[in-house]
Amino acid sequence: MATFSPIMRQLGCLKSAAKPQSLLSAQIARRSLTTVYTPKPEPVPLPTNLPESFLSQLTPRLHPANGPKKIKIYPPPPSTRAACKDPVAAVTESQLKVLDPNGERKALFDYRRSPRSVKVGDILRVTFKNGDPFSGVCLSIRLRGIDTAFLLRNELTRVGVEMWVKVFSPTVKSVEIVQRTEKRKRRARLYYMRQPRHDMRSVENIVSNYLRQKSVLAGQRRQGGQNRRQKR
Amino acid sequence: MIQLKTMLNCIDNSGAAVVECVNVLKKKRPATVGDRIVVVVQKQRNFGPESSTNSGIANKVRRGDIRHAVVVRAKKEMQRSDGSLVKFDDNACVLVNKSGDPIGTRMNGVVATELRGKQWSKILSLAPMHV
Amino acid sequence: MAPRLSDRLIWPSISPWAHQLVNCNSAFIRAFGIRSLTPPNTSRFNVGTDLPVLKSTPTAALERKADTLPLRTGAIAIKKGMTAFYDAGTGKRIACTVLQLDRVEVISQKTRERHGYFAVQVGSGWKHPSNLTKSLLGHFSVNGVSPKRHIFEFRVQDENGLLSVGQAINADWFQEGQYVDARSNTKGKGFAGVMKRHGFGGQDRSHGVSLTHRSLGSAGPSQGGGSRVYPGKKMAGNMGNEQNTVQSLKVLKVDPQNGIVVVNGAVSGPKGCVVRIQDAIKKPWPKVVSASESAV
Repeated sequence: MATFSPIMRQLGCLKSAAKPQSLLSAQIARRSLTTVYTPKPEPVPLPTNLPESFLSQLTPRLHPANGPKKIKIYPPPPSTRAACKDPVAAVTESQLKVLDPNGERKALFDYRRSPRSVKVGDILRVTFKNGDPFSGVCLSIRLRGIDTAFLLRNELTRVGVEMWVKVFSPTVKSVEIVQRTEKRKRRARLYYMRQPRHDMRSVENIVSNYLRQKSVLAGQRRQGGQNRRQKR
Repeated sequence: MIQLKTMLNCIDNSGAAVVECVNVLKKKRPATVGDRIVVVVQKQRNFGPESSTNSGIANKVRRGDIRHAVVVRAKKEMQRSDGSLVKFDDNACVLVNKSGDPIGTRMNGVVATELRGKQWSKILSLAPMHV
Repeated sequence: MAPRLSDRLIWPSISPWAHQLVNCNSAFIRAFGIRSLTPPNTSRFNVGTDLPVLKSTPTAALERKADTLPLRTGAIAIKKGMTAFYDAGTGKRIACTVLQLDRVEVISQKTRERHGYFAVQVGSGWKHPSNLTKSLLGHFSVNGVSPKRHIFEFRVQDENGLLSVGQAINADWFQEGQYVDARSNTKGKGFAGVMKRHGFGGQDRSHGVSLTHRSLGSAGPSQGGGSRVYPGKKMAGNMGNEQNTVQSLKVLKVDPQNGIVVVNGAVSGPKGCVVRIQDAIKKPWPKVVSASESAV
């Protein structure tokens, strides 16, 4: 088409203008069949006061009774979770009330709060329900609620013996402080005392001394008219 | 935790001083207090120079003997029913014969009370002390 | 639409429409849906009233379950942690798990007629309605229950075990001394190797082993064994975070005020996980008078 001269192109324009009008109109008519835009019919609103008898003619969707329903949400019942935030603590408390009614056992070992409590390095003597005593140096105290325990170390017949004793166990009848440590220990756990260099060896002598003194005191007390088990 | 090759102290007067565990009986786990084990006597106890000649206090076992023994102390802590733990600084045993009676007549050293629950009351009564 | 097959192939009948017309009270009705071209013939050996129930049917499944399904529903609890009890007589220490029931209510019932089995749908906790789908909200609303965070079904043996919808299940649903089964998801361990997941032995540290110290050995035999990995071969994969049931746990303590149930021993899963507790199936059913009364 590049060979067309400008004059020829102008003539071409004329040619299209010279086309019979009837043919052009026919073309337009044919196109209108496919592409002419017809807008969507506006939804006719339902009459507000539609008689009952006409409702059956409506589709179920448009039925006024079938409109969007509001879901009723019921309020929750009172929460036990809010009532008791920490059930484990609650169970532990109730147990401690039974095992340690006046809280003196707890105070005896709560070294963070009570100043009169047992400290690591003290020499303790534990008497069990079946009558067996065990004494030793307290190496460590584990504060864990009902599982609060302390570690005692002693040497019996030249063999080191260690025992973790549960403070609130009903098998523990009494815990006595035989001797307090002279200096505050600068560690929370005195595991170095297991080394031969630092080992305290047997504390049986100290304990037997203490028991002798105690029995003397108890004898005096008894003479004074008081028959009570002394506890230091 | 006494298993193959564990060296134990023998705390009776049977004549053995140090024994080596070669087998744990009736369980697939390491032995603890109250368990029966098979041991080899590694070191004899000397009851003085004249005692070896005297047949009166003669050693009932010799070095290299294979014997049954009962563990009476263990380094591994044992849990009691109230949650308390007991541990000793060494592993120790006493020799017993096949029927379960102790070979020695005396014992020196503390033993664990767990022996009572495991039908070793005889050993417990021989012991000078128990924990 | 009729299949386009020749008349000779379809049916020895006159019309190609014959198989779609069901003769019902001597009037032909058009039937819909997909149907076999060759309907099965009823065997003359498989008909009768005294025949045993087929094993793969729902009826047989219910029959098998009849003895092992609990009589009453269970409850949804939250694991709160562990603590210990001391036996008053012997001084024995008993480790225990503390569970808490929070606003546990019956949401709906499943019945044999409608759903094929008897179960009680139970929900616990509370969820903000804006965080729930509309379908669930509708479900709660229809049954008159507040929106629940956790929903589970508890199968029961028969209709006597069905509780009325909306009934609250408190901690006193369980009695002290009875046994329960605790069902919960274990702690997730992530993608674990075979040594951790299945307890494989691993391979040597040395002796020419390189780079495969913790891997599994062979995955199976070669020719003769089928040259394939058998189904169920233990391999590395996700470990934990799967349901586990701990059976026959004794209920040590019940506190209906705070919704606390304390059971003996451990329960799978981390603190704060959902635990479903129901009467133990391996112990005698607990004797409960109130349960049979309330289950109308």
